[in-house]
Amino acid sequence: MPELPKRKVGLVSCSGEEMAEGTVTRLATLKVLETLRPEETVTICLPLFLAGGEGDRAFARFYPTIAIDGCEKRCAARGTEMYSSKPAAGIVVSELCPAGAEEQGTARRLNEAGMKAVNAVAEEIALHVDRLLGAPWDQSRGESAGDDPAAQVKAPGVATCSCGSGIPVKTLEIGGRQVEVLALPLIFDMFRQAAKPAVDETAAEMIETVRLYNRIPEGEEALWKLALGREYASYCAEVR
Amino acid sequence: MTRKALIVPCSGIGKTYGSVAREGAYIVTEDLCPKSSRLVPLALVVLGDEEVQQTLAGSPAIAIDGCKLACAAKVVAGAGGTVAHAIQVLDVYRRHRDLKPAGIAELNEAGQELAKALADEVSGLVDGIAAEETNA
Amino acid sequence: MLEVTVDKFIFRVPESLLFSDAGIWVVVEGSRARLGLSDFAQQVNGDIAFANVEPAGTEIDVGDEFGSIETVKVNLGLPSPVKGKIIEVNPLLQEAPEAINQDPYGRGWMVVMELRDWEKDKGALLDSSHYLERVKELADAELKK
Repeated sequence: MPELPKRKVGLVSCSGEEMAEGTVTRLATLKVLETLRPEETVTICLPLFLAGGEGDRAFARFYPTIAIDGCEKRCAARGTEMYSSKPAAGIVVSELCPAGAEEQGTARRLNEAGMKAVNAVAEEIALHVDRLLGAPWDQSRGESAGDDPAAQVKAPGVATCSCGSGIPVKTLEIGGRQVEVLALPLIFDMFRQAAKPAVDETAAEMIETVRLYNRIPEGEEALWKLALGREYASYCAEVR
Repeated sequence: MTRKALIVPCSGIGKTYGSVAREGAYIVTEDLCPKSSRLVPLALVVLGDEEVQQTLAGSPAIAIDGCKLACAAKVVAGAGGTVAHAIQVLDVYRRHRDLKPAGIAELNEAGQELAKALADEVSGLVDGIAAEETNA
Repeated sequence: MLEVTVDKFIFRVPESLLFSDAGIWVVVEGSRARLGLSDFAQQVNGDIAFANVEPAGTEIDVGDEFGSIETVKVNLGLPSPVKGKIIEVNPLLQEAPEAINQDPYGRGWMVVMELRDWEKDKGALLDSSHYLERVKELADAELKK
């Protein structure tokens, strides 16, 4: 049975070598990746990202990212936005823990206060991860989808190519509009393999899965169910 | 005024080699060659920090990369800097096979020793640049 | 070229190759076969510091190691999925084993073997689409570690 890609959050850390805050970002990010939220997060290696790493950039285009910066220069946040899309959240250590470099140790060796800052920043990152995974994500705007009924969820160009991001899309006509629905081919295949018939109950069940990857504007659920039901019926007839 | 060699480590967070590059850069710029070298954060190179851009334009750089992806060397060259030397931790490890590094947040003992071996090699390159500067 | 993306990792599987479950690819060239390490196998094991293969002239049975790789993560023996005699080894492996990481299906080939029992051996190999499914399973399992 095809598996839908699990939603995860990408963490982009500045790791700035010149100041203690940079080391704090590095260690805090590693703590989240390895201990606090290992199954929910992926590291985006900033040097590789900046140098052109295709996997890291494609991931950051599609999934929400958190930029963790040491100082107001915000290299991780700016780099992510420049080469991919705007981070969903940003943390700046010098703002979160304004103790100052002298009190956190050196870039090479943090002191006790520095390690406390690591824990505080790691907890903050984890909270953002939880929040982002709990809310639908609008790739086109690079932010959590709000309640604006006019907002459209449009897949970025890379998502239309299954070779680029691994997430195929299907365009449906919903309420007179052409809407790209992310992951729909995989969802259809999953439901068909589970022998779900093309009936209303299936559409009602399917929309909950579709919702994990797409924002359904308020008031349009019935239209989406209708479109999904219709398309799924066509899909099942074709593969028979 | 004699120019300092710019040390640009990759500091990648995904592999232990990134931590070795970072630690090696610190050993060079703080312990071995504090007067003839300066550490430059890679991200500032890419994002066009004005002071870094001016420094890069005027001084030779030594890129320390963790692996063959060579992010630091590529980025410095792409930003118009002069990569006087590109050194990779993977190659240093090949010359010191007994020093197998592990850990990212904290390097193991072998990783610390590998960072020192890396720093020794880089400091030799820094001395070479300093000598050229003196003779110029 | 088939591809599967898991998180930020893209794993490539050429349609023209056959694969063992251990991630060794095979392409037949007449009575010979060229072998190497799959893209998934090289990514999951990390940057290759050293790669060794048995010298030309060595007879290899199915399951025998035709070579090994060493990374900071693993020292990994490479079991041959075919029976034959090694007749050529990639000279790049000594001076630049990173070719396996950079170009696993091209410059990173490892050995060429004169095949002894191809009709029997090929039955145990996976075609590209089946190997792609296997890669997906293995990648998901790897991420859960």
